[in-house]
Amino acid sequence: MGKLRPRRLGIVAGAAAALAIAIASLAGTVRVSASSDAAAEQAKAKHYKGTRPFVVDKETGALRLPTQPEVDEVVANLSALGQRPAETLQQTTQSNGALTIDLDGGFAGVMLARPNDDGTWETRCVFTLEEGAEFLGLVDDSIR
Amino acid sequence: MTTHHLYRPLRIVASVLAVLLVSTLASAGPAQFIIVNVNAPGVGFNDPTPATPVGGNTGTTLGEQRLIAFEYAASIWSARLDSAVPIRIRAQFTPLGAGVLGSAGPVAVAANFPNAPLPNTIYHIALANKLAGVDLLPGSDDINANFSTNFTFYLGLDGNHGALNDLVTVLLHEFAHGLGFSQFASLTTGALFAGLPDLYNSMLFDNTLNKFWPQMTNAERVASATRFGRVVLDSPRVTEHAPSVLVLGSPTVQVDTPASIAGPFQFGTAAFGPAIGNPTVSANVVAAEDAVDPGGTSTDGCSAFTNAAAIAGKIALVERGLCGFAQKARNATAAGAQAVIIYNNAANVNAAPPGMADDGINGAFVTIPAVSIRRADGQSILGVGSPSMTLGIDRTLRAGADALNRVRVYAPFPVVAGSSISHYDTAASRNLLMEPAINGDLTHRVKAPDDLTFELLQNEGWTFPDADHDGVADDEDCNPNSDRRATIVIGGADTGVPNTLFAGGCTSSDLIAQIATGAANHGGFVSGVAQLSNQWVADGLVTGKQKGAIQSAAAKAGS
Repeated sequence: MGKLRPRRLGIVAGAAAALAIAIASLAGTVRVSASSDAAAEQAKAKHYKGTRPFVVDKETGALRLPTQPEVDEVVANLSALGQRPAETLQQTTQSNGALTIDLDGGFAGVMLARPNDDGTWETRCVFTLEEGAEFLGLVDDSIR
Repeated sequence: MTTHHLYRPLRIVASVLAVLLVSTLASAGPAQFIIVNVNAPGVGFNDPTPATPVGGNTGTTLGEQRLIAFEYAASIWSARLDSAVPIRIRAQFTPLGAGVLGSAGPVAVAANFPNAPLPNTIYHIALANKLAGVDLLPGSDDINANFSTNFTFYLGLDGNHGALNDLVTVLLHEFAHGLGFSQFASLTTGALFAGLPDLYNSMLFDNTLNKFWPQMTNAERVASATRFGRVVLDSPRVTEHAPSVLVLGSPTVQVDTPASIAGPFQFGTAAFGPAIGNPTVSANVVAAEDAVDPGGTSTDGCSAFTNAAAIAGKIALVERGLCGFAQKARNATAAGAQAVIIYNNAANVNAAPPGMADDGINGAFVTIPAVSIRRADGQSILGVGSPSMTLGIDRTLRAGADALNRVRVYAPFPVVAGSSISHYDTAASRNLLMEPAINGDLTHRVKAPDDLTFELLQNEGWTFPDADHDGVADDEDCNPNSDRRATIVIGGADTGVPNTLFAGGCTSSDLIAQIATGAANHGGFVSGVAQLSNQWVADGLVTGKQKGAIQSAAAKAGS
């Protein structure tokens, strides 16, 4: 399996959307709102950089700052899994009156970890990019 | 028999049973959790790397051990939750980013479905399915779980994780978010998700505004999300069980009067002076005044207080800035204050109360407790003049709950990791599964007296598997399929004696049946029933006449 990247999520979401539409069509009336990757767009508007060493280097075993690609990957993960406006998600009204909304992989609790000096790990469960950035020491470099 | 201490007459549990009647009528048995492995061959759950069985996990490859740990965590929730609709967890292990252990959340949410207890309210899809009694999104999974192949978890099932992170505990936590332990309102704008409250935030109550979250404006919700210590879950089940889980005695910095600002403040502690609570200080607060030093103010406490007479015996309030924390605290000590509170200055208006370091010089002269607080809280103190405050251990409060035993959610200022209002407060003690961090002393138990996660889910509408509808969960029931007939029947003979339901989930008939099972012969059975029924008379549970009917029926049974 590849990494959890927005493109893959988009593919999955697309497939899920098609499936949900098919199911809802069978069930009754359908209302579908335009889907967009608002979370990814929001993340793109910022440029994070790492300020805290939380990566254990695979070769040396030492703690180091995250590289920019590593920062970007964490930001992409947190963005894909975080909150987003309901308007950007697929909503379906079934014939029995039930409203269902596909969360498109978002609104998940994300468990993060950073190493302590004693070899243990400190963990934190976050729901937003801002929370995760705070914990991992990622700062918005676009704010100058 | 020596189990009579556990007995409780049926009439006592009747009220409990009545409360549970509606839910138990719909009891469908332990929820079936299906782990939908979406990993490709050779990776994730299918990783063939050899692994040594560990801590009860019998898998012999890394992939097997991961899957067994997932199934084990699911089985723990399965034992606690009842649903006629299987709960599908779409799961994979995949290379997530550095520092990301994994995630889980609901795949979808639903509102206004058949049997929805609350109209126009968002429910997690697994709970909506359970309440509707049908799969509202057939063919769709209910919880999405992604965990990292880049991280070394403890994969044992016994909790002996040492310095590693226990995967089972992490899964129990994240699955709970997927089952109902999370809210959906935007923490940025305060807007309700899809314009509707959700079940979780319908229970969020702000003690300052005296409002539930759905009653608030967007701006009020945003402010409430960082109102430390003031936001609680108004969940009767959690409140009922909080005393059995949370210890009495809560470290606190709180306003006692006036009522307009009463309640706890978020605070930072000092690396100098006595610890908060040593001793506990209750006194009025007086703002310190001092000479204006170059670059300073008359409120920064950087030189000797000019109103020392008013400060003596009181709690000094000082503004952050210009000089070190220890110097301010030393000046407060010299003025005779019982304690000192340092509030953030304008330059730190959006900062959390800091931890206060010693400067290596002044700390040694500080003999009073010192704490830091937010600027907004400092200004609220100034706004009411001289409030009465307590710094220390409030032994009337349970750690992590308010005065009504409503458990607090984590709402620090400013937004920090885990502060998304969907966790219990870190002030809770003992540590709880649904705090934002996975603490090393957590067990795999999810209900009182070890934890309060299940109780919250129960208030949302989750019920426990209870095959015999006796109000005792099957996995804790001394007989999950009790003989619930109204009277004791022995060998087909109706004694006419009421069949009592005891607290552990067994009835009088169950206990007699146990004797029958364990007796070597008829004589042993009769003797055992005689001993038991004699004890019931001694306990006042049956009359002598009723005892006679029981013993007579036992003697005739099978003879």
